[in-house]
Amino acid sequence: MATHDIFMPALSSTMTEGKIVEWLKKPGDKVERGESVLVVESDKADMDVESFQDGFLASIVMPAGSSAPVGETIGLIVETADEIAAAQANAPSTASQSTSQLKASSSTQVQEKEASVDSPKATEVKKEPSVPLVPDSSTSQPEFLNDGRIVASPRAKKLASQMGVNLANVRGSGPHGRIQAEDVQSAKGQPISVPWIAESNAPANIVSDILPRVEKKSVDSDKPPAAGKSFGSRGETIAFNTLQQAVNRNMEESLNTPCFRVGYSILTDELDSFYKQVKPNGVTMTALLVKAVGLTLARHPQVNAAFSSEGIAYPSQINVAVAVAMEDGGLITPVLQNADETSLADLSLQWADLVRRARNKQLEPQEYSSGTFTLSNLGMFGVDRFDAILPPGTGAILAVGASLPKVVASKDGSISIKKQMQVNLTADHRVIYGADGALFLKDLSYLIEKNPHSLSS
Amino acid sequence: MNKKLHSVSPESGPNINLEVTPQLAQSSSAFLFEPKNIVPFETALGWQKIFQKSLIEEPFSPQAVWLLEHFSCFTIGRGSDKKNLLFEENKSPLPVFSIERGGEVTHHMPGQVVGYLALNLSLHKKDLSWYLRELEQVLIDVLYLLGIEGKRIDGLTGVWCEDKKVGSIGIGCKRWVTQHGFSLNVDCDLIGFENIVPCGLDKVKLGRLSDWIPGIKVCDVKPLLRESVKRRFKLNWRNR
Repeated sequence: MATHDIFMPALSSTMTEGKIVEWLKKPGDKVERGESVLVVESDKADMDVESFQDGFLASIVMPAGSSAPVGETIGLIVETADEIAAAQANAPSTASQSTSQLKASSSTQVQEKEASVDSPKATEVKKEPSVPLVPDSSTSQPEFLNDGRIVASPRAKKLASQMGVNLANVRGSGPHGRIQAEDVQSAKGQPISVPWIAESNAPANIVSDILPRVEKKSVDSDKPPAAGKSFGSRGETIAFNTLQQAVNRNMEESLNTPCFRVGYSILTDELDSFYKQVKPNGVTMTALLVKAVGLTLARHPQVNAAFSSEGIAYPSQINVAVAVAMEDGGLITPVLQNADETSLADLSLQWADLVRRARNKQLEPQEYSSGTFTLSNLGMFGVDRFDAILPPGTGAILAVGASLPKVVASKDGSISIKKQMQVNLTADHRVIYGADGALFLKDLSYLIEKNPHSLSS
Repeated sequence: MNKKLHSVSPESGPNINLEVTPQLAQSSSAFLFEPKNIVPFETALGWQKIFQKSLIEEPFSPQAVWLLEHFSCFTIGRGSDKKNLLFEENKSPLPVFSIERGGEVTHHMPGQVVGYLALNLSLHKKDLSWYLRELEQVLIDVLYLLGIEGKRIDGLTGVWCEDKKVGSIGIGCKRWVTQHGFSLNVDCDLIGFENIVPCGLDKVKLGRLSDWIPGIKVCDVKPLLRESVKRRFKLNWRNR
């Protein structure tokens, strides 16, 4: 059980208070993360304020038409319908308190207003619901001491009390080590940076879905991307680890294979909306792509075939391997067996298990070397296209880029935006010819664009 | 830390002759649409929605700018006071649209250039006051090129020439993605404003550029606006 405050957002650096134009939700209404809950106006600009949380609007602390200082609690969101009543019971006191504060304070004293947000009275109201949230065993957070004195932004303090984070253990990233709201979130284990491991559920949505949505500041998409990693220091030479050596051998071997590449652009709006439908059932985007490739391979056995000294070898199964980068170097290709015949839910479960065990180096050779076709996805980094190196023993590998919006103009002059994903097939020309690859891609594209529902059959 | 030390104040008129190279690191690209025909209000609204939605879902998707004219209509913001409509709502002489922007009622009509911007302010500056002042500066820069002195009035949003308001601004924003923008009266008929209290300002006098430059047409102003918007927000036009 937890209550989450909606704060008056800062629409500009000079704004001290904002006017609530309209509540788009009523108390008791269900709200989704990212959904607009109210509209705040400053000057001639309207800003939709979104919920950063799935749940219910429990209470409107500041009604439409009223003004509130930046950072003030203006509404409460709870996670379940059962908590609405409890939160509402607490709310009126907050409301009257806030309004009286508002009336009393003059508009220039911003500092005082901000301070009043974390006055003991204000936090007391929230303490009760936040206590059960306290367990933060989930994260292995480093102990960090701010030499006794805790300097934190008002919002960070508020978040910390809501989330049950002890500020004494939080490293501050602000000026002079001041703890910011983001620091509290990262201490709690909410991801604030893009995980670099090259395995993801999404071909696109680079920033928006991975970063948490803080309701007032939205996504800091202007933050610089995470730094690239290095296995050694400057001037050093580091021996390849076993996995890296294995990758090297495989990649060098591919130089003996006469490869060609063929690309295709696939519209993904239908796939995305299908993904939204099945996501609640635990289906991942990786599973969808694997299934789509598996079903298409079933209709294009030539693309599932491989070169052997005796001739073209047609495997008895369709096993789709998916490349996963390993944190300590190298990459591994866990395999989803019989991808054409396995259900989306099973593929999703198996994939989660494979990735977990791959990270712990617990995969059996059969589980990463039995692929008949490989999928490599760098879409989550925003890559629009790339080409992949063919793993030995297989006939083809598909490189999947991000699904990115493209403007499409129709004949009547109207414009629309459709999401487009570029895929690039690398194939062994001894087995797979240009037309084979092209037809495979055309069929894959048809399945994804027109018929994603058939993936669940 | 004093934030003001780091904030950028809008450049004033004379600086506008300094050409800003569009390929600066902080430049971003946008589509520019300049429909030749007059566009129904709801059509342009639909266009903006498409881009705004896309930018919200995908912060690096295309931004867009429209320069166009509307058929006569009134629009009111979500926070607008209906008292500023000087007629009964169901007996309006013209279509009335309730839209998601700040500010009070305004009036569009042929002869007025409307500029809509679907920008992701995360790529520019996440500050709505800054954005409103920059939109004003876009108009002031254009007026300067036409030899007219445009000015702001403290505490109000918009652009005035002498004592007449020629440019209006109203925007909506969701997750720092903007919609709506500005309007500039060029050679339009101002009579429709008599049915409303424009911008909720009781004694505001409206003006149009043709009061100062007889014979000026929308097509004379559009190219200046296009360049001014491009320079002010450091945009590259993607479709040219």
